[in-house]
Amino acid sequence: MTTTRPLRIGHLYPEAMNIYGDIGNVRAMQRRAQWRGIDAEVVPIEAGRADIASCDILFMGGGQDRDQSRIFRDFTEYKREDVTRAVGEGAAILAVCGGYQLLGHVYVDADGNELEGLGLLDLRSSAGHDRWIGNVVVEADPSLGLRPTTLVGFENHGGRTYLGAGLRPLGRVRVGGGNNGDDGGEGVLAGRLIGTYLHGSLLPKNPALTDWLLSAGIAHRDGRAELAELPELDDDVEMAAHRRAVELAMAERGRAPVPRRR
Amino acid sequence: MSTDLRLTAAVAAGKAAAATSRLLRRGGGTTIPGDVALALDRGVLRKLSPALPGGIVLVTGTNGKTTTTGLIAGALQRNGERVLTNSSGANLVFGLVAAAVADADLRGRPRSQTAVFEVDELHLDRAVIETRPRLVVVLNLLRDQLDRSGELETTAGRIGDALRKLPDSAQVVANVDDPLVAGQCRGLPNLVPIGVDAGEFLLPGLPHAADARACPVCNAPLRFSRVVLAHCGTYSCTACDFGRVQPAFALTHIDAPRIDALSLEVSDGAHIDAAVGGVYNAYNVLAAYATLRTMGISQAAATAGIARFHPRFGRQETLTLHGRTMRFLLAKNPAGFDEVLRTADELGAATTYLIAVNDRVADGRDVSWLWDVDFERLARSDREPHIVVAGTRAHDLALRLKYAGVPQERVTVETDPERALQLAASTGDAQTEVAVLPTYTAMLDLRAVAERAGAVAAFWQDPGRA
Repeated sequence: MTTTRPLRIGHLYPEAMNIYGDIGNVRAMQRRAQWRGIDAEVVPIEAGRADIASCDILFMGGGQDRDQSRIFRDFTEYKREDVTRAVGEGAAILAVCGGYQLLGHVYVDADGNELEGLGLLDLRSSAGHDRWIGNVVVEADPSLGLRPTTLVGFENHGGRTYLGAGLRPLGRVRVGGGNNGDDGGEGVLAGRLIGTYLHGSLLPKNPALTDWLLSAGIAHRDGRAELAELPELDDDVEMAAHRRAVELAMAERGRAPVPRRR
Repeated sequence: MSTDLRLTAAVAAGKAAAATSRLLRRGGGTTIPGDVALALDRGVLRKLSPALPGGIVLVTGTNGKTTTTGLIAGALQRNGERVLTNSSGANLVFGLVAAAVADADLRGRPRSQTAVFEVDELHLDRAVIETRPRLVVVLNLLRDQLDRSGELETTAGRIGDALRKLPDSAQVVANVDDPLVAGQCRGLPNLVPIGVDAGEFLLPGLPHAADARACPVCNAPLRFSRVVLAHCGTYSCTACDFGRVQPAFALTHIDAPRIDALSLEVSDGAHIDAAVGGVYNAYNVLAAYATLRTMGISQAAATAGIARFHPRFGRQETLTLHGRTMRFLLAKNPAGFDEVLRTADELGAATTYLIAVNDRVADGRDVSWLWDVDFERLARSDREPHIVVAGTRAHDLALRLKYAGVPQERVTVETDPERALQLAASTGDAQTEVAVLPTYTAMLDLRAVAERAGAVAAFWQDPGRA
C-alpha cells in the first residue's frame, strides 16, 4: 500500500463564521479521524485567495450579520471557482446556517438586500418575520445509512430556505422548524454536500454523520467513488449526549417560531 | 408636599406582594413586588428617581454587573450613604421597581440617597428613560447566550442607542479596552474611559471566544498589540483611525496574590486591595473605582470602601459542604467560562471541579457555546483534576471534555445537584478546594442544596443586601 497524505479538513472563515460553537464540528472530524489512526489536519481558510483544491472536506459555519455579508462577497469573488471544482471532484462539504444559505442562489436579508450565493445548489433563502429557536430532532435521509437514524441539534435562525424541485433535504423534521417551517424538510443533501441549520455543535452529538463525512473525505483523498469503510469507535459518551438531546427536544414538540425583535 | 395617592397605593401593594412572596418562599420576592407596583402606577421609577439626592447609577455589560454594582454600592454605604440597589441580580425594569418599592416609605419617597442598579444590556434603553441616571457604567460586550440576547452587534447597537438618550449632564464610565464598547461610546460628551495598561496577565493572542475582530466603524480587521481577556486589550484598526483611546483611569499594575485577592495600582496613584480574584475582577474593581471617583468620592474613601467588599451569591463565594470547601465561580458565557477556568487553574489549587450546565432560559437554551470554551485547559492542567459534570446538559459537557482530551476516567456525570455536590466533596484531595463552575440556574440549584444543608443563607436573606 502506498503512503497516503493526511486527510485535509478546510475550515472556511474560522474567525468570522464561528458564532455557534461551530469549532466543535471541526474538532469532532479531526479527533474521530485521529482516534482511528488516520492523520487529519485542519486548514484554516480566511478571506482572499486560498488553497481549497487540496481539501477533502470543507466546513463552513454561521456568522453575525455584518460578517456574513463580507463573507458572501469574499466567497463569490475568490472561492466560487475552487469550491465548485472541489465539489465536482468529490470533496465533501458541511455548511451550517449562513454557510448553508451561501450554497444557494441568493439570500435576501431583512432589509430586502440580495446577497448573491455560490449557486452551487438550486436553493434560495430569505429572512423571515420570526425566528426558529430550539432543540431539533431530524429523521435523516435513509440514503445516508446512519445508525441511529436521528440527528440532533439546536436551531436558531430567522432565515427560510426553500429547495428546488430536484433537491432532497438532509432529513425530515420531527421537532423544530427546519428549512422553512412549512415543508417539513431540514437541510439539504446533494451527493457529498450537506447543508443544515443545525448546530449544537452538530457533529459531536451525531457521530454517525461525522463518520459519513470522514468516509466521503477519505474517498476523495484516495480518488475513489465509493465511501470508505471506517472501524467502529466507543461512542458511549456521544450516544448518551445524543439520547439526552432527543429527550430534551421531544419535550418541545409542536413549538412555534418566536417573533423577531427589532 | 402633597401625597401622590396612586404612587402610595402602588408602593403599598408592592410591599404587600413582597411580604407574601417571601412568606411563600417564591424566589425571595425580588421582582414580583415590581410587577404589582407597576400594575398600579406605571410611573413608579420616574417618580422615585428625582427624589434621590445622590442620583442613580446604572451598571450594564455582559459580564461583571453584579460584582461591580456591589463594589460601588458597598463603598458608598461605607462612606455613610444609604444606598438603594438591586443586588440579587433582578436586573430587568421590574427588578429595579421592586428594589425601589422596598426602599420607599409609605408615601412613596425613597429612604435612600443614591441608587446603584445593575441593568440587563437589553433593558438599558428603558432603564435610562425611566430613571434618568447621573452615570452609566458599561463594562464589556462579550458573546452571551445568543439565543437570548440576539447577536452581539444588535446588543451593542441597543446600548449605543440607550447612551444617546442620556441627559446631557450624565457621565459614562466605559471600558474602552473592549472595542465593541468603545465603538458605541464614540463622541459621547462626558465619557470617562477606563482600561488596563498593566503588563501582567496578558494572553498570547485573541482566544477562540473573542468576538470583536473587526472595526466597529469601518469593518476592517482590528490589530491587537495586547490582549488582557476575551477581546479586551489594546487595538487599532488596520484601515481607519479607530483605536483604543487613552483611559482616564488605567490599571498600571495587577498582582494576584491569591485566587480571591487582587492588589492593583491605578494611573492616578491609588493602590487598591480587593477581596475578589482573577483578571476579570480587576476590570470590575477598576470600573467601580473610576465610578466612585467620578461621583466625587475621595481616593481614600473609594479604596477603603472597595477593600471591604466581599463577593457573594455564587461569585467567588466559598462555603463548606460535606466537610469540603467549595468555591463557586459563576460562569455564564464562553468568555466568563474561560476566565473562571483560568482563575481556578492558574491562581487556585483545586483537584476537583464541579461543572454544572443548565439550558433553562436564564442560562441560554442553546449550549453550543460549550465548544467555544477553552476546556482543553483542564486536559493540560498539571494537577490532573477530577471533574464532576452536572446540570440538565451534563452529557453535553462530558462529551465536550472527551473531545478536549480529558481522560474519561477523570470525568463523572451526575445530573442531580445534591448527589453531584456529594460526589465532588468525596473526590480528589480532601485538603483542597472544589472549584464549582455553574451556569446561572445551575448555581441556584446547587446553592439551594447548600441552603437546605444549612451551609449558606437564602439569597434574599443575604446580609450583604442593602
